Amino acid sequence: MPPPDDLVARAQAGDQTAFRDLYRQHAGRVYALCLRLTGDARDADERTQDVFVRLWDKLRSFRGDSAFSSWLHRLAVNVVLNERRTTGRRERRVTLAEDPAVLEKNPGTSLEGLSIDLERAIADLPNGAREVFVLYDIEGYGHGEIAELVGIAEGTSKAQLFRARRLLREKLER
Amino acid sequence: MNEQELHEAVSRLPKSIEPPRDLWPDISARIKVRPWRRWYWVPLAAAAVFVLVMIGRSIKPTAWDVTALAGRPLIGTHRLAASGRLRVGDWLQTDDSSRALVAVGRIGQVEVQPDTRVQLVVARADEHRLALAHGTIAAKVDAVPRLFFVETPAGTAIDLGCAYTLATDSLGKGVLHVTAGEVEFQTGLRSARVPLGALIQIRPTTGPGIPYVDDAPAPFVRALMTFDYEPRGTRARAIRTVLALARPQDALSLWHLLQRVDPSLRGLVYDRLATLVPPPPGVTRLGAIALHLPDLDEYWTTIQRIHFRMMVLRGVRDVDPRTGKAVH
Repeated sequence: MPPPDDLVARAQAGDQTAFRDLYRQHAGRVYALCLRLTGDARDADERTQDVFVRLWDKLRSFRGDSAFSSWLHRLAVNVVLNERRTTGRRERRVTLAEDPAVLEKNPGTSLEGLSIDLERAIADLPNGAREVFVLYDIEGYGHGEIAELVGIAEGTSKAQLFRARRLLREKLER
Repeated sequence: MNEQELHEAVSRLPKSIEPPRDLWPDISARIKVRPWRRWYWVPLAAAAVFVLVMIGRSIKPTAWDVTALAGRPLIGTHRLAASGRLRVGDWLQTDDSSRALVAVGRIGQVEVQPDTRVQLVVARADEHRLALAHGTIAAKVDAVPRLFFVETPAGTAIDLGCAYTLATDSLGKGVLHVTAGEVEFQTGLRSARVPLGALIQIRPTTGPGIPYVDDAPAPFVRALMTFDYEPRGTRARAIRTVLALARPQDALSLWHLLQRVDPSLRGLVYDRLATLVPPPPGVTRLGAIALHLPDLDEYWTTIQRIHFRMMVLRGVRDVDPRTGKAVH
């Protein structure tokens, strides 16, 4: 497979084969993010598609000022959060347990039971707490960035994180 | 389960999870058949014509607004009373008691400090360019990267979306201090990326020195300056000093040093850098030492992200300078 920067340049020029290769390279990372942010395998499926469709539209605006993977990651976060803001239909909390095979099929996730339990516990969190927890503890964003991305106050972000951690600890202790 | 155990469990979660089915056929269909591309070509074409007209208009040399903040600065040979226009080719000059504020098109502003001489070189929507002959300016720009440039006798400051102060004498000796975002300073083939909270010394002919954070220890800064500007014979000792004194916060300096030392010393610099801030997955020692651009860029993104978090959270929260994670 050609080097990533070459793929990006070719995809920017409209080469769909290169874009497909970009998808193959980044689908796992994007899907993991969507799955954790939405807490729902079907939503993650849709959002992952949305991210790559949006990427196709926005690719020309990528100027190489940051790594492509970081840029795509930020784009994916925005797509997922914007979708939730516009539809507001994330109230149903279908957990990953609906399709446990999602995790068990992946070699990277067939870890000890704790990881799968943790994934399910994260998916079970209330929406706001889950988003902040995923962005802060898993993806490494700061509260300021999260506040901006999610559209909440920094203090709310901190409170949601505290709440998420407490709920997770309680769930995993059962 | 306590907080620490939860944290460890989270750190073991996989970064990547393959979708349970191949999503490409659906994605491919959606990007091939986009209804809006068929139905909305008329307004899009109209929008394109409008944009072309606007670009056409913007390509013509225009002028920037200038406001006197103190005293009476000169535009060309005319004294500025309260406000005026700076046209392409015009020089704006302040004396020791005058200051002026220049609107950089619609994307920002430049405060021209006393005893400064600047010229408007290009005023287009896609390029805003000033020449700073001598003196000090404080620039604040809110735009996509690489729209605003300031030429100095020693090189060019390229805005990457930021705020900064740039000072130079007429020979090109100066300093660039970035207070928001990031600036690239370029002289010929040598360039430096300077993020917020960092600065560089600039010298004629040699151009930008290695950037360092504004709270870097003085001996560390002195060693960098020796490396950058003193005769080659003294550089080996300076490199040893830099490596010995470097903290994780100084990773941005070592990232630049890696690209400036002799090839035989790159391994030494890389190893120290990797100890201070571990490279992100995918970056190899071999690639970084060979100055392979994707490796260097990927590493820089990590260093920059950590640095940004530390700057933003300074005084608010303790951040591990090796990872950028908040210390719990």
